[in-house]
Amino acid sequence: MSTSAILKTENLVKTYVTGTVETPALRGVDFELRKGEFTAIAGPSGSGKSTLLHLLGGLDRPTSGEIYLDGTALSTLKRDALSKLRLEKIGFVFQAYNLIPVLTVIENAAFVLELRGVQARERMERARKVLAELGIEKYANQYPNRISGGEQQRVAVARAVVAEPAIVLADEPTANLDSKTSLELIDLMKNLNLSTEHAGTFLFATHDARLLDRVNRLVTLVDGKIATDEVRSPL
Amino acid sequence: MKQAWRHLWRSRRRSILTLVAVFLPVLILVLQFSFLNGEQESLFRNTVTLETGHLQIRSSTERPDGGALAFMKDPAAALAVVDSMPGMAWRTTRLDLPALISNGGRSQGVLLQGVVPEEVGRVSPIGRLVKEGAYVASGERGLVIGTELRDLLDASLGAELVLLGVHPDTGIGAASIPVVGVYLAPDPAMGRGIVQTDLALAQTLARRPGAVTSIVAMVDGVSGPWDAYKIDRVVAALRTRLPQEYKVLDYRELAPELKTFETLERPFHILAMSIFFVLGGLVVLNTLFLSVVERTHELGVILALGAARRRVMRMVMTEAFLLALVGAVAGLLAGGGLIAWAQAGGGLKLPGAYDEMVRMMGMEAILQLRVSVLEVAASGLAMIGVALLAAWLPARRAASLEPVEAMRHVD
Repeated sequence: MSTSAILKTENLVKTYVTGTVETPALRGVDFELRKGEFTAIAGPSGSGKSTLLHLLGGLDRPTSGEIYLDGTALSTLKRDALSKLRLEKIGFVFQAYNLIPVLTVIENAAFVLELRGVQARERMERARKVLAELGIEKYANQYPNRISGGEQQRVAVARAVVAEPAIVLADEPTANLDSKTSLELIDLMKNLNLSTEHAGTFLFATHDARLLDRVNRLVTLVDGKIATDEVRSPL
Repeated sequence: MKQAWRHLWRSRRRSILTLVAVFLPVLILVLQFSFLNGEQESLFRNTVTLETGHLQIRSSTERPDGGALAFMKDPAAALAVVDSMPGMAWRTTRLDLPALISNGGRSQGVLLQGVVPEEVGRVSPIGRLVKEGAYVASGERGLVIGTELRDLLDASLGAELVLLGVHPDTGIGAASIPVVGVYLAPDPAMGRGIVQTDLALAQTLARRPGAVTSIVAMVDGVSGPWDAYKIDRVVAALRTRLPQEYKVLDYRELAPELKTFETLERPFHILAMSIFFVLGGLVVLNTLFLSVVERTHELGVILALGAARRRVMRMVMTEAFLLALVGAVAGLLAGGGLIAWAQAGGGLKLPGAYDEMVRMMGMEAILQLRVSVLEVAASGLAMIGVALLAAWLPARRAASLEPVEAMRHVD
């Protein structure tokens, strides 16, 4: 793994087995993500984008191959250790927002900090700051079902970045949003990527071509393999 | 905690149903404890005031035939020990003598009790049950018999009855004594078999002046069975101070049915109550299981974000704890409130036959409901324990979810 690489995969294979039927989702992915990159994984539906993100995020185990996150081989980690690694190193943004309905916006944004054991006062301060950066501070005390989809996804982004993880993985974050809101969200994520405070590494899966001119690297997956890997604007 | 609390309000109807399932067993157990305590207290009070006293001192000589009690060898010396005993409230002496009572034509075997009339009311109800004539006075030559015996012997007030006192140590003593009072016994066997007279007269019949068979005593500061330790303390002290020719019997030894009640009835009732607790636990289990299934997606997200499995488990357990806590506290308050309400009215009036029987004993047919702090705490804690036990399975299921699979779950 090169010195600036935060994430690396080696011949990653994932095959889903249902009864006697085997469905290959990833067929040997070698991939390296460098610190600070704002990368998109594009590809048609069923190309393996979500599977790859799940594996990279330690949410699922590969059939074979290895993933290194910040130098740690994920296959060596047991379930609890993998949870801890996710908590400490990875921020997630899901397609369906996946906010916790019984928590307010600010409590959702601060949730990862709560899991990390940060004191209530500090985590609320930090969450409020991120909400302000994302322009949704005014909704801090609302419940998720009282705000729009775009606003909910911003809360999800706030939750992902609030603890300043090494990498933010976003699985089709704009799939449920209209074009304007999608572009706004990606721009906000890009701003966070460029900001001095949250300068993390962002990797998101999308099949929305309009978003791709915002990224500085584009990886295309086709049938479970990397078809192209294009650096558009070097770091 | 906050998250768990809000989750409970998400499925309000289900949470309320669960609260009721927790509330009821606690309420019933608290009431059950109060009834048991009241019943136990009533039985204790009846036993010690109508029959046994807190303790009795008798001769340690056992009669192989189980008949007449042996005379105490030196009752004055024993009384001196009793009178010097700290914590002793009151005592009296009694002479129990098997006797044959006859009107000339018919006869009946009875137990003649020679008592100190002005003292005996504290340990015998007969004085209060007299319906015809009057209770025998101190030094009076007279008998108090039950209505059953009166009918059997066709003996009205003033009729002279012949008594043959029989004791293995002194043989037979005879006297003709008039009936001065007739009592209405709660139990026909008592009315037919117990006759009371003045102690001195009984001693004459026993052909031993000064003879007594029992010293009946009450201990200071005993208001119910919960003060039994005070009796035990005095009994233990008496056993060390009295010579070996005397034995000291406490009320449990004198009335074994009371001991049976204390040792069997309470555990039996608690065991029966555990069925309600198990049902309550099953409702908690069902609620949380459904809640976990409904929230599978959400739990998957929480796990994906990096929550430790023990945290997810704790989350579900906290919900169970909150449900159990609120339900239990409500049950305790309701139970306490009902008991306080009943007590504010002077206690719980007993219904039907029981009421009649207790009234005939010359006592108030009212159950004094009581519950101790320990019983209240035990009721609440038991329900919380059952709820946590029931929550363990759904909590474990929640914690063992795989994030990706759980997130695929559609609510």
